[in-house]
Amino acid sequence: MKARRVKGLDPDGTLADNAERIVLVRLDELCSFMPAAADPDEVVALHDMRIAAKRLRYVLEVTGPCFGPYAKTATKHVKELQDLLGEIHDCDVQIPETSAFAERLQGADAAALREAAGAADDLEPALLKQAPHAREHAGAAALATHLRARRLLLFDRFLELWAGYERKGFPARLEYAVSERSDVHNSQAG
Amino acid sequence: MAKAQDIDVAPSEPYRHAAARVVRVRAAELFDAADGVLDTRDIERVHDMRVASRRLRAVLEIFAPCFPQGEFKGVLRDVKQLADALGERRDPDVHIDALTAFSKSLAAANKPGVARLIEELRARQSRANELLAAELDRAQQRGLHERLLALADAAEAEPEP
Repeated sequence: MKARRVKGLDPDGTLADNAERIVLVRLDELCSFMPAAADPDEVVALHDMRIAAKRLRYVLEVTGPCFGPYAKTATKHVKELQDLLGEIHDCDVQIPETSAFAERLQGADAAALREAAGAADDLEPALLKQAPHAREHAGAAALATHLRARRLLLFDRFLELWAGYERKGFPARLEYAVSERSDVHNSQAG
Repeated sequence: MAKAQDIDVAPSEPYRHAAARVVRVRAAELFDAADGVLDTRDIERVHDMRVASRRLRAVLEIFAPCFPQGEFKGVLRDVKQLADALGERRDPDVHIDALTAFSKSLAAANKPGVARLIEELRARQSRANELLAAELDRAQQRGLHERLLALADAAEAEPEP
């Protein structure tokens, strides 16, 4: 996902003023994926939301100390969100990989059994015991089931997490925090 | 995992001065993490370097307007390419690690299938390691660290009147 362009950045302006513009755009970008990403089948929206969370996290990690105290809390929230979306993404990558693996095993066994049947009129079910990957199908199926169930569980956690952030007013509080300026490091300014 | 160094920033300092300081620190973190990264017995090394590459890429994008655009684009492209190679190595590392843990809790009948998949992933890990080795050589040959430091210097230099 290409990042939305941030307008009005000025290299000679202050760090905080420029960072404020970046955070507001990245925050809006993140929030724009809801409610689409709340649909468990919207895998792309969820993936893009993860990328948006990553971008917001990194800008907050570097520039957060310029802002009001809530910026630090927001950084933790965004990291938590990004980590959880990353776990879901791993499932979304591994589920088709596991299916393809199971498919490869079945394909190889089917070819081997066909060869073993030779000139027979039909395939003898007892031949299945001779399939080269006979012992491996169960593990592939168990893994696929585990990944699907884990994805469902993690997705429910994501919905709860986001609902919690909304209840706590995360977007509005971060917007306010970036309009504030911390005074902790002002002596370093130059 | 190696934690990113906290970098002091001041709200009122010039954006481009912060750019120079932050890029120098994040570039050093990336190249410091390169030691032993091709050793597949310790997957944390590639993880640390990958995270460092992501942080560096992120700060380059955050401070993009502060750098001379011609040089910046080439450096960003090379950082992305290195980050991609690290990601290609990291993906099978994570998958193998997760499957190894998963397999421990499986019934005996389910273990052979998972072991077979791990075997396939090891082959993928090995191919990705070769690509990463080539990418690390390329970054060195193209003087990526020095070019990053030059970008930082350019950001810090007073603009011509």
